[in-house]
Amino acid sequence: MLKRTFLAGAIMSLGLAVGAVAAEYPTQSITIIVPSKAGGSTDRTARMFTEIAEKNYDGFEFVINNIPGSGGQKGFEAIARAKPDGYTIGLVFTPQLVAHIVSGRAGYTLDSFHVMGNTAQDPAIVVVPKDSAIMNMQDLADAAKADALTVAVNGIGSDDFLAAKSFESKAGVEFNLLPTKGSTEQKAAILGGHVDAAFMNLSQMIKQHAAGDARIIALLTEERDSHLPDMPTAQEQGFDVFMRATRGFVAPAGIDPAIQEQLDTMLAEVMASDEFKDNAMTGSIFLLPMSGPEYLAYLEGLQAETQAVYDQAPW
Amino acid sequence: MFEYLAIVFSLSSLLTIAIGTVAGVAIGGMPGLTATMAVGLLVPFTYTMDPTAGLMLLGGIYCGAMYGGSIPAILLNTPGTPAAVATAIEGYPMSQQGRAGLALKVSVTASYVGGTFSTLILLLFAPLLARQALAFGPAETFLLALMGLAGIISIADENSSLIKALIAGLLGMIIAVIGTDDMSGSLRYTMGMIELIDGIDFMPALIGLFSMIQMLELAGMRQKSIDTSALDKTQKSEPMPRGIAKHIALGSGTGTVIGILPGEGATIAAFISYNFSKRISKMKELFGKGNPEGIAAAEAGNNGCVGGSLVPTLTLGIPGNSVAAALMGAFIIHGMIPGPDLFTEYANRTYPFILSLFVANGVFLIVGLTFAPYLARIALIPPAIMVPVVSAFAVLGSYALNNAVFDVYLMIGFALFGLILKKLGYSLEALILGLILGPIAEGGFTQGMIIGKGSPWIFFESNIAKVMWVIIALLLVPPLISYLKMVRQNAAGVRSS
Amino acid sequence: MTKRSVDRIVLAIIILMAVLLYGSAANFTGIARTTSAKYVRFLAVFIGVLSSGQLAYSLLRDRSLDKLIVTTHWPRFIGLLVALVIFAMVFETLGFFIPAAIFIPVVAVLLGFRNYLAIGLTTLGVLAFVYIVFIQILSVNLPGFNF
Repeated sequence: MLKRTFLAGAIMSLGLAVGAVAAEYPTQSITIIVPSKAGGSTDRTARMFTEIAEKNYDGFEFVINNIPGSGGQKGFEAIARAKPDGYTIGLVFTPQLVAHIVSGRAGYTLDSFHVMGNTAQDPAIVVVPKDSAIMNMQDLADAAKADALTVAVNGIGSDDFLAAKSFESKAGVEFNLLPTKGSTEQKAAILGGHVDAAFMNLSQMIKQHAAGDARIIALLTEERDSHLPDMPTAQEQGFDVFMRATRGFVAPAGIDPAIQEQLDTMLAEVMASDEFKDNAMTGSIFLLPMSGPEYLAYLEGLQAETQAVYDQAPW
Repeated sequence: MFEYLAIVFSLSSLLTIAIGTVAGVAIGGMPGLTATMAVGLLVPFTYTMDPTAGLMLLGGIYCGAMYGGSIPAILLNTPGTPAAVATAIEGYPMSQQGRAGLALKVSVTASYVGGTFSTLILLLFAPLLARQALAFGPAETFLLALMGLAGIISIADENSSLIKALIAGLLGMIIAVIGTDDMSGSLRYTMGMIELIDGIDFMPALIGLFSMIQMLELAGMRQKSIDTSALDKTQKSEPMPRGIAKHIALGSGTGTVIGILPGEGATIAAFISYNFSKRISKMKELFGKGNPEGIAAAEAGNNGCVGGSLVPTLTLGIPGNSVAAALMGAFIIHGMIPGPDLFTEYANRTYPFILSLFVANGVFLIVGLTFAPYLARIALIPPAIMVPVVSAFAVLGSYALNNAVFDVYLMIGFALFGLILKKLGYSLEALILGLILGPIAEGGFTQGMIIGKGSPWIFFESNIAKVMWVIIALLLVPPLISYLKMVRQNAAGVRSS
Repeated sequence: MTKRSVDRIVLAIIILMAVLLYGSAANFTGIARTTSAKYVRFLAVFIGVLSSGQLAYSLLRDRSLDKLIVTTHWPRFIGLLVALVIFAMVFETLGFFIPAAIFIPVVAVLLGFRNYLAIGLTTLGVLAFVYIVFIQILSVNLPGFNF
């Protein structure tokens, strides 16, 4: 009896698979691979997208598949390996996506993906403990020249690490770098005054800065950020250091162009909707919409920059 | 405050909390299902719920799961969470003596007291305590891991193979070294396998070393079924042992303090509480053979972590452990960024959430006490049907942690390798403790060395560190002295015979 | 084999591993040389010394000839092990439900359980529980057919 039920189920699902070829796209739910844990900011970005996409597009259903681990590498590889049938897409985040390629660990290249577009970003920042004497980037450079400063970065090869390395070479200093496991440890080290400074992301520290528990001294982006309009960038302070984390959508390369076009358009439309923008605001996700070609160009540029850092000091 | 109480005591809130808590107990009881996983997976689900109700649901799961882990630990020697390993050391022998009913009663009472006490501390002193916890840096984290590892000695000193327990603990720490070196980003001993880049997860190891070994041993027993004559006495209800309150209080305090500190709190808290309780007990010789005092301290300790871990999570956005980190995601998804805002702007959500934890503790107390006599009957289920069911959950649980079949093989491997070690007299509790605390010790040590610019002086510098060294010495010296005495007596005995 | 000789083999393997571990710490790069390498070397030395001590003690003092008894019923023990490995091997393609529906009854019968009604009900109960908890509530992505 039991076996018969299963058999019937198996036959039914086979039938569905055959029907899929004939019928119009999509006939089954689309899997979104999220290369991080459920509940994190990348995961939330994906779920915000699916919520609105499912509501506005009839017949589209999404399933989120979290494949965390190895700084996203496991998930990126799963997207690259997925069957390009339009039923698997995924999220990527930088600079880890290109850092794995540069360090020779990745089982994929940028060519393994069709880049659909960027969604969110998080500017890199430099933050110091609240009672630190360091008030700006010049102070940081001077203090680092006088004495090796202990500076927390979130792991080797992360955006923080690359930003710190870039600052080291621009300012001609050398930090006593403290790699942590995750931004939580960085936050604890800054709030507890165990380190002299940290390279982090804006969303992780914006509340603490506002509450006076820590002091952000610079944004590492090309322009100021609307969430913290009074905060000068590092460039304004005379140091050309740029870093931001981005989170965008990709698909495995080789999907039928008609289907791909449909997906790309959907992403752009969802990102343009007011509802999506409102949800992003409540969920503290900073949007930075980029089209597929724009984001691909960004990724290629970032890979070249990362390669330069890696060649100087491999990790 | 009354308006917050009114929110909690509405019918829908009470129902939500009860569902969450009961689900949490079930999740904690399954080998392989953890509170971290359940909360992580349900955070997106609460996205569409009313924020307060969503948080109450997750809080209930957290409280329930912390307690739930102790049920299979006591009845089947298969701890559902690493924090319940210490409970299994005392609980399973009690179960075999037909005292499972009492063990369950002690465990649920201690969990309740620990959970309630820590929630009270969270409610009253959160901002103040969080500031204090910040003084706790990497160097102190290293010492905390050492304190937890000192538990190895207390596991060992009764069955005389202290050296083997230490070897097992070090083996666990060495297995934990596999994976990415956080300091240089380079890979250590991964043999080119992508599955090993993040190291070996302790959950497949826990499932393999405890649940699966227990099932292999049951399967491989000659007699048709285990002797249940002792178990039939289970129905006899025993009163709570005298003097147990002291151990519950000790565990509650220790658990709350350790919960506030960063790191994988619950496991350390349970072992340190267990260790403390053994030091002050008047019945030391009964430890390892089914002493309810050990259960009381360990369970009060790991539930004490619940409230404790939320102190830095809510006030500073620094989660005290992985469940709290997942829970923090639920706050952020609703725009409630942890920090002072939670207690002002969002007070009408935060305070009901904290108050709901009291209810959650009450729910599992009632459920646990009501069902203890029935749960105790689980120990009577014939092994021939218990073994395949638990094994299937072990496979599923190992897979579901990281969606990786590799972890299933790892679980089976740990079971085989662990079974041989167990037969040779190596303590598997020590091994899992080493595996869990190894990375915490390594992180604290390496980061401490960097902050100290290469000088180990940093581990002795702060006042907290000095106090911790004294506690470590107190934990280590007395058992070592009694161990040496015993060795000398044995040697004298051998010579005179 | 006697417990004593298996123990000695295990200790010898641990000592060999400790030596290799100590040596490998020399290959650590960058900052790891002054931090992680110290930690790894400490572990290697500590476990090496303890294992050597235990091995010496075993060689000098241990006169016991107890046999190492892994299990008293090899067919059932190996049977469960093989069933587990097969379960793991087909997990990626067939998922949880089909293998579990076979695994639970087969192992129960293997272990000498003959109450077929109870086996059937238990199997159904487990499958239903997993379906509800994993697929419906937690929406975990299990591979294979999830119905």
